[in-house]
Amino acid sequence: MKKLKNVLMLLAVSMLALLMSGCSKGSADGKTHLTFQIWDVNQRDGMQAVCDAYTEKHPDVVIEVQVTSWSEYWTKLEATAISNQMPDIFWMHTNEILKYADYGKIADLTDLYDSEDPEYYQKHFSEVSLSNVQGSDGRYYGVPKDKDTVGLVYNKEMFDAANVAYPTPDWTWDDLCEASQKIYDATGKYGYMAYGDDQLGYWNFVYQNGGYILAENNINGGFDNQATIDAMRFYMDLQKENWCPDQNYFAETSPGTAFFSEQGSMFFEGNWNILSEMNNYPNMIGKWDVAVLPKCPNPASGDGRATISNGLCYATSPTGKNYEIVKDVLRFFGSEEGQRIQGESGAAIPAYIGLESTWANVFDKFDYRLNVECFLDMFEYSVQSVNNKYRPTWKTKVTDSLLKIYSGQLSFEDGMKSMQDAINTAAEDD
Amino acid sequence: MSNNTAKASKHAKSESMWGYIMVAPTIIGLLALNIYPFLDTIKLSFSKTRPFGLYELRGIENYIQMFASAEFWRANLNTIYFCLLTVPIGIFLSLVVAVMLNTKIKGRTFFRAVFFLPMVVAPAAVAMVWKWIFNTEYGIINTILAHKVNWITDPGIVMVTCAIVAIWSAIGYDAVLLLSGLQNISKSYYEAASLDGATKVQQFFHITLPMVSPTLFVVLIMRLMSSIKVYDLIYMMIEESNPALTSAQSLMYLFYRESFVAGNRGLGSSVVIWTVALIGLVTIVQFWGQKKWVNYEV
Amino acid sequence: MNSSLERSRKIRTAGVYAFFVIGSIVMIFPFVWMFLTSFKTVEESMIIPPTILPEAYQTKNYTDAMASLPFFALYKNTALMIFWRVVCAVIFSSMAGYAFAKLNFKYKNALFSLVLIQMMLPSQIFITPQYQMLAKVGLTNSIFGLVFPGLVSAFGTFFLRQAYMGIPNEIAEAAYLDGCNQWQSFVKVMAPLTKSSMAALAVFTAVFAYGDLMWPLIVNTDLKMMTLSSGLATLRGQFATNFPVMMAGSLLAMIPMVVLYLFFQKQFIEGVAMTGGK
Repeated sequence: MKKLKNVLMLLAVSMLALLMSGCSKGSADGKTHLTFQIWDVNQRDGMQAVCDAYTEKHPDVVIEVQVTSWSEYWTKLEATAISNQMPDIFWMHTNEILKYADYGKIADLTDLYDSEDPEYYQKHFSEVSLSNVQGSDGRYYGVPKDKDTVGLVYNKEMFDAANVAYPTPDWTWDDLCEASQKIYDATGKYGYMAYGDDQLGYWNFVYQNGGYILAENNINGGFDNQATIDAMRFYMDLQKENWCPDQNYFAETSPGTAFFSEQGSMFFEGNWNILSEMNNYPNMIGKWDVAVLPKCPNPASGDGRATISNGLCYATSPTGKNYEIVKDVLRFFGSEEGQRIQGESGAAIPAYIGLESTWANVFDKFDYRLNVECFLDMFEYSVQSVNNKYRPTWKTKVTDSLLKIYSGQLSFEDGMKSMQDAINTAAEDD
Repeated sequence: MSNNTAKASKHAKSESMWGYIMVAPTIIGLLALNIYPFLDTIKLSFSKTRPFGLYELRGIENYIQMFASAEFWRANLNTIYFCLLTVPIGIFLSLVVAVMLNTKIKGRTFFRAVFFLPMVVAPAAVAMVWKWIFNTEYGIINTILAHKVNWITDPGIVMVTCAIVAIWSAIGYDAVLLLSGLQNISKSYYEAASLDGATKVQQFFHITLPMVSPTLFVVLIMRLMSSIKVYDLIYMMIEESNPALTSAQSLMYLFYRESFVAGNRGLGSSVVIWTVALIGLVTIVQFWGQKKWVNYEV
Repeated sequence: MNSSLERSRKIRTAGVYAFFVIGSIVMIFPFVWMFLTSFKTVEESMIIPPTILPEAYQTKNYTDAMASLPFFALYKNTALMIFWRVVCAVIFSSMAGYAFAKLNFKYKNALFSLVLIQMMLPSQIFITPQYQMLAKVGLTNSIFGLVFPGLVSAFGTFFLRQAYMGIPNEIAEAAYLDGCNQWQSFVKVMAPLTKSSMAALAVFTAVFAYGDLMWPLIVNTDLKMMTLSSGLATLRGQFATNFPVMMAGSLLAMIPMVVLYLFFQKQFIEGVAMTGGK
């Protein structure tokens, strides 16, 4: 019996120890501890710098930046939303903002700057930025954090080897193909690598041609629109050219990997990746540069120029226990100073109008100065990232159809129809 | 006589008391951690789900939609194909490895370490290395073969590739379990058999196999269950941009895409219930079949 | 007669060795590849056709990996998680496994079916509810959070039940006649007989805990509270296409497991061979 007692005691103690080890990090310092959840490790230092600037002025607040990788971020955020345990501040993405806003899980921040200036948002953020933070009701559910564009990355050495002039702002799709062919013929390396991606691929072509993925009502699909179909056909047929790898290749080797291992000469890249590519491939510095996207030579409508622009925002829960303090922090995050620190850290292009060059200036530190200003120039004709409430539902289906067209399991026409169906039925199901 | 029955009933009483005490932690844990989420899944499979855990009970709508979907039947075929590829070969190889590691050969310590090595590498790294080895363009296998086989993107081959990696990662696990079963077998059986003039092969079939059969049964059950539930491996081997995705999509991958990517928890839950029912059926067949070959209490 | 026996024995031994050598090459090859790659530059790692040996052995990938992850904290957290999960799994599963195998009580089969049902369930459905339970008591970002889903083990219960089933009833009965109660005969007589199975369960639990990725990623987001596997996944976010750094990180993450294995190998796999006798 004594033995039993001992065993039970041991068990109880070990369970207790287990619990203790969990509870050990209390906050007995009297300060307000806030958590700030993000998904991009590369921006952790930048976000920390913004938080430090705030806590320096408000020593009674401590902000802890936590990173959950993209694939787990949304599973986790939804779980915290259900159990009312959301982080105090978190990043919100256009993919998800409508869902969170419509279900009241993120706070309406339209009045955040009212005491300062009721027109604050309109004065300091672009229309695209503001539409990226709107809920279905048109109110603002986040403080714009950054904005991005898609540009053309090219390998200078390969252009030189093939005796082709570097891309210029008036390059068209034809120039893109011509250069690709010449580079392939001269060097055996791939030209423009057109892969099955939306934001970094066909969306740009569709909007350049005057087509659209979502119709004016933001519910119906655009894959029955002739301009959309033409652009899709042009883009998908690029993989049939000898200078472009096929989708099998891209399933194993992303265009970025192929580009930086000097297998291909051009691909579309978001500006958010450029800094880490400079850091990751030191031996490539000086061999490549960036340019604005080539335009459509004969668009169905418009001037043939377009680039997809997305943007993140800072959001918070309306029921958080530190709501008032959090609002003050958010006001700072959206302020000129908060946005400037973000830009200067190289994290992203600040959404705040007039601070775009702070991000570009970060590239001064490299031996070869990339022409990153081209990303900023494109804001003039940028198109808001495609999104509606039902996107999570139709996105996987559209991707499946796209892959089936590439692999020949679906004809192009049937593929377009099934993509169109996927978007339209997603709305009907609701 | 009456004294004896009283003692027996007291014994029975204390036996059942101890039974409850000893299973209590496990059962309470299972109820809270696993059974409750399962009941929740059953409920959701009959519901129209909305974001943030909201739902309306709707009846068998999700099941009708599931059975009408070609994708779902394709996922069933893929899963069964994966099981057929991995379970028999995997178990056979692990048994061979375990038996051989249990013999007294030179360098046994080294070989053991080698076969258990895959267990100590993080699964994410496993997928990464293998994807690289199988890479069409610069993978080492195609370099050796001097032939461009689309190991990961050819719809006809992709499952075989996944099966190779699955077997490679699982051999160590299964061999550890089987080895422990082998080592529970008392040496005296073999000594007696040797004296009777039994050969090594006879000893294997008459002593080793029956004696290790309870463990083999566990391994078989477990391997079958985890093969039907396969998800991580395929998720890490197959990118979203892979044209062979539909040929490698297992049931649980379908669940993941429906529930977590497309946000349709209801349909995803009915896929889970179907999968669990499938596993249940296979398990019942196993338990029924074990009477024919599993040897308890020798 | 004697020489032909001798010859067949030799052939058999040669066969065993051939099997092991070929098997070893297949098993080890990916590790050799990882090891060699971890010294290459990113550029070299992507050359077509690939180089086998690095052009120059550079340790920058290791310093990069160590600079971006707090490896000491990751080792510590992983060790604590594994330790507690193993302790819980072995103790609770032994108790339940013994009861299910050797004791009679009402609803035994019904309760045991819960164990089997758990084994059938895909772990993805547990994640959200378990996270919510933890979040409610505020225990995310803690060691307890990491251990939580592994407090009890259905597999372990099933596995040890099988082990107890293999032990003749007479042994327990003899202990009972010696005046032991159920608990005593379990702790003193029966449990020691399943040592090798417990060891296997310990290894299995440890390995499973080590490889667990999704749960640690969701429950502990503070980098100081991550495990090796979730830390590595974070590293992947940072060095998306930088394979050499990933390989270096993966190898660094393997070290404690290899050490643990070498320890276990002596303690259990060698040691238990003689204790299983009946």
